[in-house]
This record gives sequence, structure tokens and C-alpha cells, in this order.
Amino acid sequence: MPASNAANQLELHRIAVSDILDTLPSIIVRVDRQGRVNLVNRSFELFSGIQADKALGLEIATLIPQFGSKFKGMNEIIDNRTPVAFDKLPCRNGGQLSYHSLEIYPLDSDGVGMAVIRIDDISEHVRIEEIMAHTEKMSMVAGLAAGMAHEINNPLGAIMQNAQNIERRVSPDIEANLKAAEEVGVRLDLVRAYLVKRGIFEFIGHIRTAGVRASNIITNMLHFSRRGEPRIEAVTLSKMLDWTLELAASDYDMKKVYDFRNIELVREYAADLPLVNMIIPEMEQVVLNILKNSAQALAELEDERTPRITLRTHIDHSMAVIEIEDNGPGIEDAVRMRVFEPFFSTKEVGVGTGLGLSVAYAIVTKGHNGTLEVWSKPGEATCFAIKLPLQELS
Amino acid sequence: MSKPEISILLVDDDDIIRSCICAYLEDEGFSVHSAVSGEEALDIIAGINPTVCISDMRLTGMNGECFIRQAHLICPATGYLLHTGLDYPLSDELRSIGMKPDDVLQKPIYELSLITKKINAIVMAGSGV
Repeated sequence: MPASNAANQLELHRIAVSDILDTLPSIIVRVDRQGRVNLVNRSFELFSGIQADKALGLEIATLIPQFGSKFKGMNEIIDNRTPVAFDKLPCRNGGQLSYHSLEIYPLDSDGVGMAVIRIDDISEHVRIEEIMAHTEKMSMVAGLAAGMAHEINNPLGAIMQNAQNIERRVSPDIEANLKAAEEVGVRLDLVRAYLVKRGIFEFIGHIRTAGVRASNIITNMLHFSRRGEPRIEAVTLSKMLDWTLELAASDYDMKKVYDFRNIELVREYAADLPLVNMIIPEMEQVVLNILKNSAQALAELEDERTPRITLRTHIDHSMAVIEIEDNGPGIEDAVRMRVFEPFFSTKEVGVGTGLGLSVAYAIVTKGHNGTLEVWSKPGEATCFAIKLPLQELS
Repeated sequence: MSKPEISILLVDDDDIIRSCICAYLEDEGFSVHSAVSGEEALDIIAGINPTVCISDMRLTGMNGECFIRQAHLICPATGYLLHTGLDYPLSDELRSIGMKPDDVLQKPIYELSLITKKINAIVMAGSGV
């Protein structure tokens, strides 16, 4: 029977087309000039949570409100016969941030005029792009920092050493000083008395102190930026933590969020801990990321409590443990389970990339065979625990 | 505090650093000579035969390491100190002429008396005490 045969063929065709559409990971929707849906695939159902038969006839902007504004003017898009594309649209689903690309292709079906919408999840692509951009940025910063440190060390040395020379040249302990004073007819003890009275020695002292401080910043930056070949070095946890704290205090990004100097820092370092093998700049990055997170949390405090970060070190079985605890607002369990996921961020789009803690997690677990955990008492405290094995890193 | 027997040759192309460290070393009673480059220092070192020679690492022309290796051939009894801005691992060549990690002065020097300490250490070691 040819009629039934044709119907059969048609049905086979329909199944083939819908199989193809359902197999694709892209969300595919066909809409009319008013943006009303007349065809969807499986990916659409999964993404929107709406079954195909419930979606038909409804406006796409209400079915996928995340991208609602992008579907305006469907009529014009169809008339223009030119595809429209949007890239990297952020989409927040609970705490998970994802990125999508969205394209609208005008479709000329018997002059009726329709359009096919394709939406793809490009989060993985964006993530790789961001990590690459981040890595590139870090290595550029590292190069700049090393160059700057080198250039700045000389003038810094000159400042501190000349200040010291000034002090020494009015000291009675140096014979040449007494001789020169006598030659010009002044008494060195009176010159000194004058300098004391006018606070000159104090000023000189300040020059030296400021020089030392600047120099510490440079040294820390060099530590942080010395990437190139990652070197495994043995260091005490307390030393590494102190370096990072100094780095945090001079981190500009951090200052924008919260001035680190307003946070009370409590160091509870266990005495006589063994050296721990680590790639120092990487572990500093881990600690810095956790500190940034804490500083951001503390910035949200609304009550009168003094913002505080406590750093502890101790040994637990064969692991060296660093605990970083803040008395901030804490995190809910649902959020806590996910803080190490890439792109998971509770901050506004654009504030955090949601990468900091996931990078920290990768460094501790993959790079150092350690563990990174977090616990929290909502409203009271959050504590991150880094555990590093005491034996050699391979 | 006069130590006329201890002579120092300072090699640094940074005028301020050079004059500053020279002033300090003179105050300490050392007999001080200076040069702005390794090349200049090589020209004058034989005539001075310094007890200690302090060289910057990054110099215009030959670098500090290169200078010290050549200077050592001229004045093998001189003690050498290397002044550098980076966490500089001492090369095998410098180790082979007797330099120790302690003979590297890390920039910036906070406390000038550190230089005296290093010089005295070299003098003590040289006199066999």
C-alpha cells in the first residue's frame, strides 16, 4: 500500500530527525515570529525542567527566563534573515555559575517565518580560557615583579644605608667625626644634643624602618612570583604563613575588599614543628586565596564583633596541619559542600571568578598530596584546614 | 679603630651605593678603593692586592661572577664577597675558588655592620685563627 508506505517513510523520517535533535547536547528550540515555541529537543527539557508537550505554544522568554531579554524582537530577526549570536552569557543556577552561548537563526519555512534557537553550555571552555588568562597574567606579573624587585633593591639599599651613614657620622665612637667637629669648631656632643632635641634621630629611624618595610614587601613579592620551575623546598609552616600575611597586607585587590590591617590576626603556631616540603609560591597562593575569602566574609559582618583571623599549625598523625579560622558570618552547609567547585561563587557576577578556592584545592590535593577541608558554624566561624604529608614529595 | 693593614676594593656601577658603602668602610677604618666596572677593577687590583674585594653581581660590562673568577687569578689571596639582589645560588666555579654561601651579600643591606662582619670573617679565616 503506497499511502501507508509513504506515511511509514514520513514517520521514520520524523523519528530520525527528533533522534538527531535529542542526541545533540545543544538546546534547540524552534519559535514563530512571536517567539512562541513549536519544537524543542531533549536538552531543552533537561535545562528548563519543562516537558516538550507543556512547552509548545508558550513564549520562549517565559520558558527560559535566564535569557529572556535575548529573545526580544524575534519578528525583526526573522525579517532581517541574519543570524544573531550572544557569547558567554552568565547564568546562575543556585550557587553554580555557568556560561552559555546563544544563537538565533532565521528560518524561511514556506514564507511563514520562524527561527531556530541554539543554546550551548560553554562553561568548560570559559573555564579553560580563564585559567589560561590567569596563568598568563601570573607569569607576566612574576616577570614584572622580579624585574622591579631587582631595580628597586639598589635605591632601597641606598636609602637605608645612607640613613645609617648619617647616624654614624654624628656618632662620638668614630674618631674622624670628633676630628672634623674640632676642625670646624663645634662640639659633637652639642650637635648630638640638638639633633636629639629636634627629633632628627627619630626621623632617620623612620627612614630606615620604612626602607625595611618596603624591602620586606619586595622580598615577599619575589617569593610569590618566583614561578618558572616549581621548586620543592622545605620550610616551616609558620615562616610560610608569615610571608603570606605580609603579602596579604600589601595586596591591592584585597585592600579594595577589606583593609587587612583592620583584622585582628592571631597566630597560634605550635613550637618546634618539622620542616614541610612544598612548592612555596603555590602554597602561598592557597593561603592567600583562603585569606581573601575570609576577608570578604568578614567585610559582611554587621554586628560589633572584632573581625579576627586565627592561624594555627600543628601535627596530626603524619600530616602537618594549617588551620585558618575567621569569626565571620560562616557558611551554610549547602554552600560549604560546594566551595571548592570551579565557578561556584556566592558573590555577584563579576566580583569573584569562583576559581580561587578550586585552584587552592587542586594545588593542595593534586600538587601536594594533601587535603583541604572546610567546616563552619553559621553565624560564628569558618575554618579551612590544609593538611600536608610530612614525608618527601615526589 | 685603625686597621691600615686591611684594604678593600669595592666594585659597583651604582654611584650612590658605591659612595655610600665606601663612606661606611672608610669610617670603619679600612683602606678603601673602588671601581665602577669589572674591567676597571681588573686594571687596578694587582696594584692594590686587597684583603677583601666586594663586587656587585650585575655590572655594566662583565658581571660580578666573571670579574671575581678573573680577579682570583691575579690576586688569589684576596677574599671575595658578591653583592646581589637575587637569591643567588653560588656557582661551582666560585665555590672552587673557596667562596662560601656566606660570602654572598643579599641586597638591600639593612645593616651596614654586616659588611664589617663578613670582612672580619674573611680576615680571621685568612690569618688561620
